Amino acid sequence: MNEKGQLHTLEGLAAALMITMTVLVISQSTMMVTPQNELAVNVHLEQLSSDALAVIDTADSGSVEHDLTECVSSWNMMEATYPASSLCDLDDELSYLLPGVLYNIELAYFKDQNLNVKKVIINGPPGENSVVVRRFVTITNETVNDAGGGWNLKEDELRVVEVRMTTWKV
Amino acid sequence: MESMKDNTNGQWIILSGLVISLILIGLATLANQAVIAGYHSSNAALEFPKESIRELNSHTRDNARIIKDLTLHINSTSNDTVPFIYEGLFKNYSEQIEGLYALHGETADLTLVSVNSTNGTVNTSDIDMIFVNITYFDGNTYYSSRPEIIEVNE
Repeated sequence: MNEKGQLHTLEGLAAALMITMTVLVISQSTMMVTPQNELAVNVHLEQLSSDALAVIDTADSGSVEHDLTECVSSWNMMEATYPASSLCDLDDELSYLLPGVLYNIELAYFKDQNLNVKKVIINGPPGENSVVVRRFVTITNETVNDAGGGWNLKEDELRVVEVRMTTWKV
Repeated sequence: MESMKDNTNGQWIILSGLVISLILIGLATLANQAVIAGYHSSNAALEFPKESIRELNSHTRDNARIIKDLTLHINSTSNDTVPFIYEGLFKNYSEQIEGLYALHGETADLTLVSVNSTNGTVNTSDIDMIFVNITYFDGNTYYSSRPEIIEVNE
């Protein structure tokens, strides 16, 4: 008989405790954050971009200089040529709301049953993990006249314009 | 050689190795599950057309008011009745929005049900309630509001 058995028993107990604690800690974690997941970054970026357009669209006139409808109504119908923007007001507001994010903006609308898609803000080619968000505005002759745009709408005409924003991080 | 048969220390080393390898397998499985769960939850958030449905609904509500104002403006210089003008403008609006949704592979359907007034007359600015059927479908998610009741006298 010797006393080695006691030491082995203590070692076994300690090992069992460590294993049990490890399994408990891991299995009881309610959320395991995996920030490396590209899709999680995309979800965040999509929400951020969508909120930025929503803020510009729905904010009171005192909060933003021009809301989304005013910005679109003021468009002079000229497509942007990189790096110049043809919707400077919207570009300024978005750059303030989306720091560290690059974006391109296109306007899509139907005119005489034909689809038109025009680039109005270009910041470069979208990256691999870019997301697209959109918001609709309706412009009339009144909003265009107030904003001084070049849409040339009739008195009884309304036009739905899709503001399509592609965003990505670099 | 004989003494090695009596030495049982090696059994502990083998058992420890087995336990450690089992722990490593368990941890790897859990980490893998976490990555898969993160992927699926993120993918579900990206795929679900929350903003599309919300935008369709809120934009229709906003436009019901814009169309009402435009209708009354046109009615002041036209012989057509308010409901007739409203229906024409709403049809034009719904065709445009349906076309823009179709560009993204989504089906949106807006149908004007009725133009209503609490005092029964719709020839003046008394119209205060619009009933619209809104339907959305993107192949996976179906949304319907039949009818969507829109207060336009705000």
